[in-house]
Amino acid sequence: MKKTITLILAIGIVFMATGLGQVQKPSDLKYPPMTYNPPDPAAFRTTFANGLRGYIQEDKNLPLFNISALINFGGLYVPTGKTGLDSVMSGTLIRGGTKTKEGTAIEERIDFLGGSLNFNVGERTSTLSLSVLSKDLDEGLGIFFDVLLNPEFREAPLNLAKARLVEQLRQANDSPSGVLSREYERLLYGNHPLTWQPTKKTYDGIAAADLKAVHARYFFPKNIILAASGDFNKAELKAKIDKYVANWKNKDLKFPSISRQFPQPDPGVYFIQKAINQGYINIGHLGLEDTNPDYFAVQVMNFILGGGSFSSRITMKVRSNEGLSYNQGSRFGYRWGFPGQFSGYVQTKSSTVGYAISLIENEFNRIRKEPVTDPEMETAINYYLESFSSSFESAQGTMSTFANLEMTGKPMDYYKTYRDKIKTVTKAKVQEVANKYIQPDKLVIMIVGDWDPCNKGGDQWPGPLDKLGKVHRINLKDPLTGEEIR
Amino acid sequence: MKRILILFFTLLAFASLAIAASEIKLDVKEHVLSNGMKILMLQKPGVPRVVCHIYFKVGSINEKPGITGLAHIHEHMMFKGTEMMGVTDPAKDQAIDKQIDEVMDKIYREKYWNADGGDKAKLAELQKQADALIASEKPYIIKDDLWSLYMKNGGTGLNASTGNENTGYYVTLPSNKVELQMLLESDRMLHAYFREFYSEKDVIMEERRLSENQPNYFFSEQVNAAFYAASPYHWDVIGWMDDLRKVTKADLIEFHTKYYVPNNCVAIYVGDFNPQNIIQMAEKYFGRVPKGPDVEPVRTYEPPQYSEKRIYGEGPAATSLQMMFHAPQTGHPDAAPLSVLASILGGGGGGMRGFGPDGEASIAGSPVIVGQRGGGFGGGGGTGRLNKILVQEKQLAVSASASSRAQWYVGSFDFRATPRVDKNVQPEDLEKEIWAEMEKIKKEGATADEIQKAKNRSEAQFIRSLASASGLAGSIGRAELNRGWRSISADLDSLKKVTNDDIKRVAAKYFVKDNSLTAIYKRKMGR
Repeated sequence: MKKTITLILAIGIVFMATGLGQVQKPSDLKYPPMTYNPPDPAAFRTTFANGLRGYIQEDKNLPLFNISALINFGGLYVPTGKTGLDSVMSGTLIRGGTKTKEGTAIEERIDFLGGSLNFNVGERTSTLSLSVLSKDLDEGLGIFFDVLLNPEFREAPLNLAKARLVEQLRQANDSPSGVLSREYERLLYGNHPLTWQPTKKTYDGIAAADLKAVHARYFFPKNIILAASGDFNKAELKAKIDKYVANWKNKDLKFPSISRQFPQPDPGVYFIQKAINQGYINIGHLGLEDTNPDYFAVQVMNFILGGGSFSSRITMKVRSNEGLSYNQGSRFGYRWGFPGQFSGYVQTKSSTVGYAISLIENEFNRIRKEPVTDPEMETAINYYLESFSSSFESAQGTMSTFANLEMTGKPMDYYKTYRDKIKTVTKAKVQEVANKYIQPDKLVIMIVGDWDPCNKGGDQWPGPLDKLGKVHRINLKDPLTGEEIR
Repeated sequence: MKRILILFFTLLAFASLAIAASEIKLDVKEHVLSNGMKILMLQKPGVPRVVCHIYFKVGSINEKPGITGLAHIHEHMMFKGTEMMGVTDPAKDQAIDKQIDEVMDKIYREKYWNADGGDKAKLAELQKQADALIASEKPYIIKDDLWSLYMKNGGTGLNASTGNENTGYYVTLPSNKVELQMLLESDRMLHAYFREFYSEKDVIMEERRLSENQPNYFFSEQVNAAFYAASPYHWDVIGWMDDLRKVTKADLIEFHTKYYVPNNCVAIYVGDFNPQNIIQMAEKYFGRVPKGPDVEPVRTYEPPQYSEKRIYGEGPAATSLQMMFHAPQTGHPDAAPLSVLASILGGGGGGMRGFGPDGEASIAGSPVIVGQRGGGFGGGGGTGRLNKILVQEKQLAVSASASSRAQWYVGSFDFRATPRVDKNVQPEDLEKEIWAEMEKIKKEGATADEIQKAKNRSEAQFIRSLASASGLAGSIGRAELNRGWRSISADLDSLKKVTNDDIKRVAAKYFVKDNSLTAIYKRKMGR
């Protein structure tokens, strides 16, 4: 009945909207009013046996069942000397089998059902996710919890996973963008668990016992939040999940303490030689955490600076105006519990490397010195307000978002208050955060490219590159050994 | 009972997904304008947003030598404004733009028509004139006006992309703002004005360089060119660098006039809207675009090979093997058995054709990386037969996969494998293993379990694909331009009917040396 009324209202709006004459320009368009309220996490939150938490949404539109477990374990918690254990675990939690099933049998069965089962270890969280047709919910759920509770990390699949990871190491210096992001992070965070890289030796040193120890320590109900959606009855699903976790014991877990001290690298140019025809460039320094009250203002500021695609200054200057690059902009990255990275970025042909860097630095300075314009503010703020509902397009995505909010300790009204916080950002605040979080005296410029043509420059910006600051040449490490390549 | 109720309500609301007891159908609504433009609509409950895509039946296969890459350049140029967008004074701007074209035409003739690269002094003088004119045009240009306007109105998923066969323009808007898309898209069909053509070509050359700097790009580009000798799938969407440099504004306008007509495109809307509303707005905005002449399909198909092709390369990327076999186009009766076979051999990568066609170039985001060409049916390994035998049992490969790519005019069946370098396995060793497996398929086919698994995967993949509004828009819109959107369900039905005899038959027919290209690449450090 409610749907019928909505329909009648909708048709009414249609006639209001389209009964008018031909519109000649965009500013003449009149849009019917629309309100949108984001879903409330409390409506989906469920507590299972032994304190396991979850966000569950019935979604009967398609005969599907999706579930994921977000576990508070990540690469950052890997014991010293076991670097790479996170990648090995990603490759073996499922494939290594369980107490009663071989990994190949599990994969075969999931594939036969047309489903998918994946596991990935991130920086501080891991995710096991399953998707099956709802007719296969019971079988899928059984496999999901078997893998989550009883992984066996059998020898053969473990060795296979390690051999494949070693092959990946062999390719670790092949792609310039991969080299740039890894080395930029290493420069900003220094010698820290966030930047430690595995080698063949560390992979070789990881045994099934190490993986089992990590599993025993971190995989327990109170350290996990589920997210599930699909064609099921919520109460029935809860009863089924309760059964699976009824005997799952909680542990006393003390997370390793990780240093929050990072070195301050010397400002200047850091150059990595690669015989390619462009320079791949990052310019920046450490940023902030997304729990910082300035987060919203920084989002708006960065949209105008270089985060808002073609609506942003760096794209307009470097790409649209000068034709120097295809991909450019600026970003503030975020990571749970640590400051993220701030960087301007661009890839441009060797002869315009210096010029493109100078244009990006100009934009860093301009947004600090001058207030942004009213139209820029209008575009940025309206983008965040008007695109807000797109965050909730998928039921499973929304449940996972809520699980993440809770896991990382963010306020559960984050989305409820999001638009209000964006609305309060002013031009003055944008300039204030630009000055606070963009620090020209701390900028490092990292370039992966071919030294001679990059250093020579071109007509618009003749080299040498040390005009941009002291040049440090970085020798890459052999990813297999961790030794510097000379 | 609950299902029936939901069904009742959704029908009442012209819903997109009619759920019957055991099967799901695409409920696409169609409306054709008098100029031949087709409007497709698929209602999808959820957030109050509408995915708005337009697909034109034009891609790199409509190019020819000399203008390779033009379909993609054109896509970029569609963002450079009209008389309404991106300019403060269209008349004054137009006058300057015309002068720029005249000077650039002189430069191109001097530089590219003379084998020695032309008279340097003359070129410098002309370039000075061009630079002055370009500088004088800048005050009239409103940079990236269309993009900013879409963003200001909450546009997400903003992009455009060009593939071998079609070109798409994408935005997702709040439900109450679809009219903005209709106005802007019909405006650029009618009044595209290609300002900043020359600097945009520079951007596209940078896009090509980004691909070139990916490991294995050049080799992969050559492999593709060697595989397709005659058909226009021979060149990549991005085009050859020479053509990017030399292509002219006149080429662009000719291309636009020929292909960007309403009878050569389809608009699709997926999300929360009322179809009557969409139809009325489409009549008003797209209805004003005049019909164009009919567009002739591509003439050149790929001729039979008659002899085996082999290509060797070495460089700074992983050692690898690729084997390609010519296969039929989409809709051919052999396409379904080949896709089931790819899933059986390659497994783990998905049954249905993915949404983003491979080798696609777009206006923003990641550039096309041809080294990652692939996709189609089949995929990355998992429980596929090749992975089981070569990766798990014999431990000769790091990965081994198969995929079937039925394109609009031609198709290919590809094997890819990466050898275990640590055990000194060579690509040639894997080649022998894969041939042995092909011979086995020719004789015995696959097991009933393998065939059923492939079918289950395709069906589940289809259902899962219905969850993504933008994915749906892409697959429906693109399918419409080729064999009609109903071909999506028809292809799924064909898959379900595939038998073991079909599999043996297609293996015997296509897995023959004279129909193949084998590409062997070995790592050599020190680039």
